[in-house]
Amino acid sequence: MKVSVEWLKEYVDFSGSYHDLVDSLPMLGLEVEELGSESSNSLDNVVVGEVLTKENHPEADRLSVCSVSFSDDYEPASIVCGATNFKVGDHVPVALPGAKLPGGFKIKKSKLRGVVSEGMMCSAVELELGQDNAGLLILPKGVKIGTPIAELFQSDVTLELEITANRGDCLSHIGVAREMAAYYEKNLVLPELLTTAPTFSKPSDQNFIKGLNVETPNCPLYSLWAIRGVKIGPSPEWLKSRLESVGARSINNVVDITNFVLLETGQPLHAFDANKVEGQSILVRQAQEGEKIVTLDGVERCLDSKMMVIADSKKALVIAGIMGSIDAEVDDSTVDIILESAWFNPGNVRATARRLGLHTDSSQRFARNVDPSGVQFGARRAVDLILDIAGGECIPEVVSFGEEPRSSRIVEINQSFVEERCGFEVDSKILVRSWERLGFEVEGTDPWKVRVPSFRSEVDRPIDLVEEFIRIFGTSNLTATSFSIPSLHRENDPSYDFFDQAIENLSGQGFQEVCNYSLRSSEEIKSWFPTLDASNIGLHNPLTADHTHVRPSLLPGILDSLAYNQKNLNPLSQVFETGRVFQPGPRGNVELLSVAFALFPNSVTREWKKTEELDFFDLKRIVNRFFHGTGISTPKKEWSLIQEIAPWQGKHAAKKGDVHQNKIEISSGVISLQLSKQKEIKGPVLAAEILIDPILLSKKRKAISFQSFSSFPPAIKDLALVVDQSESAENVRSCLESIAIDAANAKFFIDPVSIFDLFTGKGMPDDKKSIACSMRFRSPDRTLGENEVNGAFEKIVKKIELDTPYKLRT
Amino acid sequence: MEKDLQAIVGEVTLKLGSITNRAQWDSVKSTILGPNGNLTQIAKSIGGIAKEDRPAFGQALNRTKKRIEEIFKESLSSIESEAELLALGKQIDPTLPPSSNFTGGTHPLTNTRRRIVSIFRKIGFTVAEATETETEWFCFDALNTPEDHPARDEQDTLFFPPGSKWNNIKQKKDESYVLRTHTSSVQIRSLFREKPPLRIIAPGRCFRRDTVDATHSANFHQTEGLYVDKKVTIKDLKGVLDFFLKELFGDKVETRLRPSFFPFTEPSFEVDLRAPNIGKLSDQWIEIMGCGMIDPKVLDLVNLDPEEWTGFAFGIGIERVAMILHGIDDIRHFYTNDFRFLSQFNHSA
Repeated sequence: MKVSVEWLKEYVDFSGSYHDLVDSLPMLGLEVEELGSESSNSLDNVVVGEVLTKENHPEADRLSVCSVSFSDDYEPASIVCGATNFKVGDHVPVALPGAKLPGGFKIKKSKLRGVVSEGMMCSAVELELGQDNAGLLILPKGVKIGTPIAELFQSDVTLELEITANRGDCLSHIGVAREMAAYYEKNLVLPELLTTAPTFSKPSDQNFIKGLNVETPNCPLYSLWAIRGVKIGPSPEWLKSRLESVGARSINNVVDITNFVLLETGQPLHAFDANKVEGQSILVRQAQEGEKIVTLDGVERCLDSKMMVIADSKKALVIAGIMGSIDAEVDDSTVDIILESAWFNPGNVRATARRLGLHTDSSQRFARNVDPSGVQFGARRAVDLILDIAGGECIPEVVSFGEEPRSSRIVEINQSFVEERCGFEVDSKILVRSWERLGFEVEGTDPWKVRVPSFRSEVDRPIDLVEEFIRIFGTSNLTATSFSIPSLHRENDPSYDFFDQAIENLSGQGFQEVCNYSLRSSEEIKSWFPTLDASNIGLHNPLTADHTHVRPSLLPGILDSLAYNQKNLNPLSQVFETGRVFQPGPRGNVELLSVAFALFPNSVTREWKKTEELDFFDLKRIVNRFFHGTGISTPKKEWSLIQEIAPWQGKHAAKKGDVHQNKIEISSGVISLQLSKQKEIKGPVLAAEILIDPILLSKKRKAISFQSFSSFPPAIKDLALVVDQSESAENVRSCLESIAIDAANAKFFIDPVSIFDLFTGKGMPDDKKSIACSMRFRSPDRTLGENEVNGAFEKIVKKIELDTPYKLRT
Repeated sequence: MEKDLQAIVGEVTLKLGSITNRAQWDSVKSTILGPNGNLTQIAKSIGGIAKEDRPAFGQALNRTKKRIEEIFKESLSSIESEAELLALGKQIDPTLPPSSNFTGGTHPLTNTRRRIVSIFRKIGFTVAEATETETEWFCFDALNTPEDHPARDEQDTLFFPPGSKWNNIKQKKDESYVLRTHTSSVQIRSLFREKPPLRIIAPGRCFRRDTVDATHSANFHQTEGLYVDKKVTIKDLKGVLDFFLKELFGDKVETRLRPSFFPFTEPSFEVDLRAPNIGKLSDQWIEIMGCGMIDPKVLDLVNLDPEEWTGFAFGIGIERVAMILHGIDDIRHFYTNDFRFLSQFNHSA
């Protein structure tokens, strides 16, 4: 909200400069967002100076050399000047080195005809402060030397204040002045009201309103004033300039007065042309579903039954608390006026303004709970001004419905409550005085009864009074920064530690961490995850077409990062990201933890030393190191080949586990070549994503108990098996392992069987491959004898020949 | 005889002196110790020696054989050592770059988040997390921001469609799901789940329906802090935040609490800081975070007695801290992932 400093001064005896307000208002909770002024230039380094001496220039007849005092702290400046209209002792504007005049001319120390000049004395034209070009601008003698010229010539300064949601009362000049009065301990001076009139629930015969009906609970208080015989015309200059100072446009005297009173008191008013009100009656009701109204901005609005309107006997005239229609507008032909002043339900006005996307000065104030006692105050103030400015005669009656929905209230509070919340001792006199400065009435002694006036809608509880005290008292005495807090038994949530370990692990494995938006486009989700029902993770009210869905995966994002850097020829081949992803599941959506990484098979930079191209098995190594490093168990399920499902390239990617069933899932391989092309990436991309349901991490890990191990050497036996090409290596390995365990017959142990060679090609049929495995036999209590080992080995060979489709390679 | 043996030792030394590999060594060995080797020949000649001379001959032969075998052994070990050395290749040029020249690195937002968390861990705050998907009740109502409260205007919220269902995020009733607009909702989830005294810090991602520009981002990160215990005061709040900001920005930082408004704290403050070492922003008051004493209504809503328990909460933007610490002028840098940006901040904070 914009306030004019000059305007504020009407209600509080404030003699400081706007600089003081820029410092003090924020400490009261009224943040100053912006500083505006009517004077368009800043005139930095142009100050008031006094001419101490004036001598002729030794080299030039038309110039003089002056000594000019411009500060108590500095030596007078020597300035060469061409003007003649001044004398010693005059106060003039002095532009010091560093100043920039409105025309763009920069002042610096220089020599004029051999004499040093440390600045420039200025005319009104040079400073764009007037038309007078006859010589220097001579200032009044009373002005203090050193005062910035800008301060002197700004007739007014405006401040853009950010008013927090709880301070509807500060959406007015009187409201802000009240805060200033409290802070500077001055009196608040309210405008004197002249017009009085008794209140009636029905209009009398002399009124040109015949009836008032309020049919909706959203309007607990409604009042109408009637003025006969006004003369509509332009507003007087003072009124225009008040409105213009805060950026409002002057329309005509009556409309301007209602706007002025809104900005002055915070009470929105509405003036109707009485002759345009059909049936001469006013009805406050809910709108009909689909009811149309053309508002003053010329837009036709379609209303619904949750919205409230002010209507005559035929049609809606105003969307209550928001904006009037063109139908009952006050214009040049208006003679009789009905003036509305009311209190509307804040939530209702707010909701209507939101639904219509129509936020006005009026709706902003109603939505923030205007002061019910201001309903009459604002109306009387407006009537006074209308009679004064637009003439006419007030019909001496207020037609009113309802009662003030809230008024002043009493909050009881004691000193210990304040001190317990603040953490420091409070002088009771200062405490009571703080509340009184804000206009609260304090009765009794500790505990006090504090009467909070109606204009403060959100001060109801003792804790609110603590806040009010702190606002006025300040927090600057809270300088001691010691605190004592006992230790608590609590660990980080496991999801945080997991991500932290993941980041450590993958950055340690040579990956650069990246960070992408969680919001993605529906096109991307459709092409990357065609089997996923995207509607489940779509937003109801997206802002832009590229941010319509939440991400089901980190993969598209990290490919964006690779693509961007590849395009910019940045040496980045390996990236990873951690974050939360969103997927539809069998029992509704789930939010999952994801860790994903992607890399190019070859380094993007050329390297002097050849390294092998990376492939799926390198991914598997990285994944294994990741699980090893983070201490998470991989899903119990075996890796299975992915056929043709985006985002993967079929037959070159694999999956292990299912996040919905196993709470953890790994997919890994080559990203669909088509999709990486879509991202404008050159060449294939290897990637992996690990999805984890956070519930998996909440399980406590079992304590590890030590197991002793054999100190005797193992016997090693190798075996190569010829199997079908389609047979998975793991099947062969695990089959051999279980046969070996059988053969050992619990007389000794078998270490996990490992694969050490894979062979296809020469000497091998096309549909076969050879897998060589190594077995280690080990006993905890002795060195195994040759016979024992060979016996077992023979058993194994026999069993393979008999019970499996595998052949021994010879 | 003695002379012959001496000659063989000489011959072995000579021949082995010029060999370079195992094959040559083998062939030399066979010329000496093989079935037709010189030494073998001499040994065979024992038959032609007088009986009484035989013991002396035998001894001399054995001594020589032993000596020769030693020479062979030494030679072999030296050949092998040399072969191993050869296998290491030529001397290295240590100035050549490493192969696979990726060092990896962390994102500046991670670094900043870690720095914040580690400062709070020193004073006993541990990390709590909650989902980024929230319900309206947890995001607003429970934080004393009911539907018709004007504070709800200020946060334009991204909603999921009515009726959307989330399996691992509980609703209060049947309110809509939203993307959380602040991490303050973690306060509520945590206070329902855990009993005070509680001291948590909750870094995480938040969402606003904002147009992306140099200072606004479709998603951003905050860290929420919460402390609930008996007799927590404004002084404790100021003390904890002063400690935090001094750790983060250095001892010379000044702070002030400026009255403000948040629906879920009372009294509420913005924290301003002034520091001499933060580039363009040095030596002026800048807003850094919001905080306040937890509103009694919020405690009520999570079934805590406000007469018994008090506490404070605060929230700070992680991007904002990173931007101030590093003089970053555009929030979009964090999400563009240009390596020339990212690589400047590895493990920094």
